[in-house]
Amino acid sequence: MNCEEIKDLMDAYLDGELDPITSQKVEQHLRACPKCEQAYEVETAMAHAISQAAPYYKAPSELRERIQVSLREAIGAPISRGAAAEDPLPVRRPEAVRRSVFFDMPWNWLALAAAIAVAAIVASSFLPRLRQPGADQFLATQLIASHVRSLMADHLTDVASSDQHTVKPWLDVKLDFAAPVVDLSGDGFPLIGGRLDYLDNHSVAALVYQKRKHFINLFIWPTTSADTKEQKLVEHQGYHLVHWTDGDFTYWAVSDVNAGDLQNFKQLFEQQTARH
Amino acid sequence: MAATLEAEYVFGAEDLESGPKVVKFAVIQGHQGEGAQKHELASFEAMMLSHMDAAHNLARWLLRNEQDAQDIVQEAYLRAFKSFSGFHGSNGRAWLLTIVRNTAYTLLKKNRAADLTTTFDEEIHAGGRESVSPAAILEHAEDAELMKNAMNQLPAEFREILTLRHQEELSYQEIGEILKIPVGTVMSRLARARAKLREYLASQMSQEK
Repeated sequence: MNCEEIKDLMDAYLDGELDPITSQKVEQHLRACPKCEQAYEVETAMAHAISQAAPYYKAPSELRERIQVSLREAIGAPISRGAAAEDPLPVRRPEAVRRSVFFDMPWNWLALAAAIAVAAIVASSFLPRLRQPGADQFLATQLIASHVRSLMADHLTDVASSDQHTVKPWLDVKLDFAAPVVDLSGDGFPLIGGRLDYLDNHSVAALVYQKRKHFINLFIWPTTSADTKEQKLVEHQGYHLVHWTDGDFTYWAVSDVNAGDLQNFKQLFEQQTARH
Repeated sequence: MAATLEAEYVFGAEDLESGPKVVKFAVIQGHQGEGAQKHELASFEAMMLSHMDAAHNLARWLLRNEQDAQDIVQEAYLRAFKSFSGFHGSNGRAWLLTIVRNTAYTLLKKNRAADLTTTFDEEIHAGGRESVSPAAILEHAEDAELMKNAMNQLPAEFREILTLRHQEELSYQEIGEILKIPVGTVMSRLARARAKLREYLASQMSQEK
């Protein structure tokens, strides 16, 4: 690849939008070419600056209120002002009216719930056969589910600490293997903590890292004969998964950060663990 | 509204080749009558209200005016609700942002055609390019006021793509769907938007000096 081609691919590379092979080619060129490397650094800093400095205009609460009122007007429902707003208005409608919108339809809810349940059962019995998922796809789904659950249930970490010397002993006691734990805060991936998880029929260590507003779950377990040794970068349901192994362990990193960041994370983690 | 609900379930059932069970439920659902609208509103709100910040932010950058932005977001929510029964996707945010954008452009075209047809005066804006180093640009890029002014000078198509990428952190694919352009165009437009923004930052800085 020459510099002109690199220039065209630079933005997509930066955004983690290139396929792994092209991405690797760009990376190789950047390592060899100081001029492009410098241009890339400027681009990176520029992208960072836009994210940081451009004001984000959140919706004011009166707009929320206004929209909810106008939606209720649109269906001719009694207007329950402040139904979901944080600050209730001074004039309130009677409680019964306010509640009616949400509580007056147990039958609807049951019917919907039942419909969803049936659809889910039907879907789950049909889709696997249609899509013929490999074991990997099944694992990917499990990994993502675990990642999402950790973010939803306010149960991101069992041991919250940015100190690897706190997290590691804690995990060692709970698990029958000693997972490597490193802090990457110097490289923009601060360690948030650790958690026990259960995946693919065994207990695994989950390390939680942060990248800007996003979280990365790194799942670690001792490599078994069933685990693929192949390195992988998968996109699934809008999440990125990176897989690699070293002598003892199998790693899966899951996050909604872009593929480039996650690859970067993987490399940093590998470098750090190799050093330990 | 009840009829559309029913249609939606039937559609879903065909999708899964899943037979009549789901359809039966749809029929029960359809005959619930007046509750259906409220019900639909509840599921609409559950899915869409959380994206109001994103909707407002996009509208605000497109229109560069708070009052217009609020009107557009309200209008967009009403439109979205009316076509909600036809929405079968899973990416509610991208869907809502598409509607916000269309609504905003309708207003821009009607009232402020100048905003959309403005072509750059390359000469004026290129002024600071040579004299300011990348390092200096970056130093100043952290300045929120400067960044805001520079971004607001960009044409609408650049403002929106920068917002979607850097503030909403959407993928090229999602951005392409919202803007109705191919992924390749997303890439090149984003590159041009960033380059242009850098020039504007530079020209602002040289004006300040």
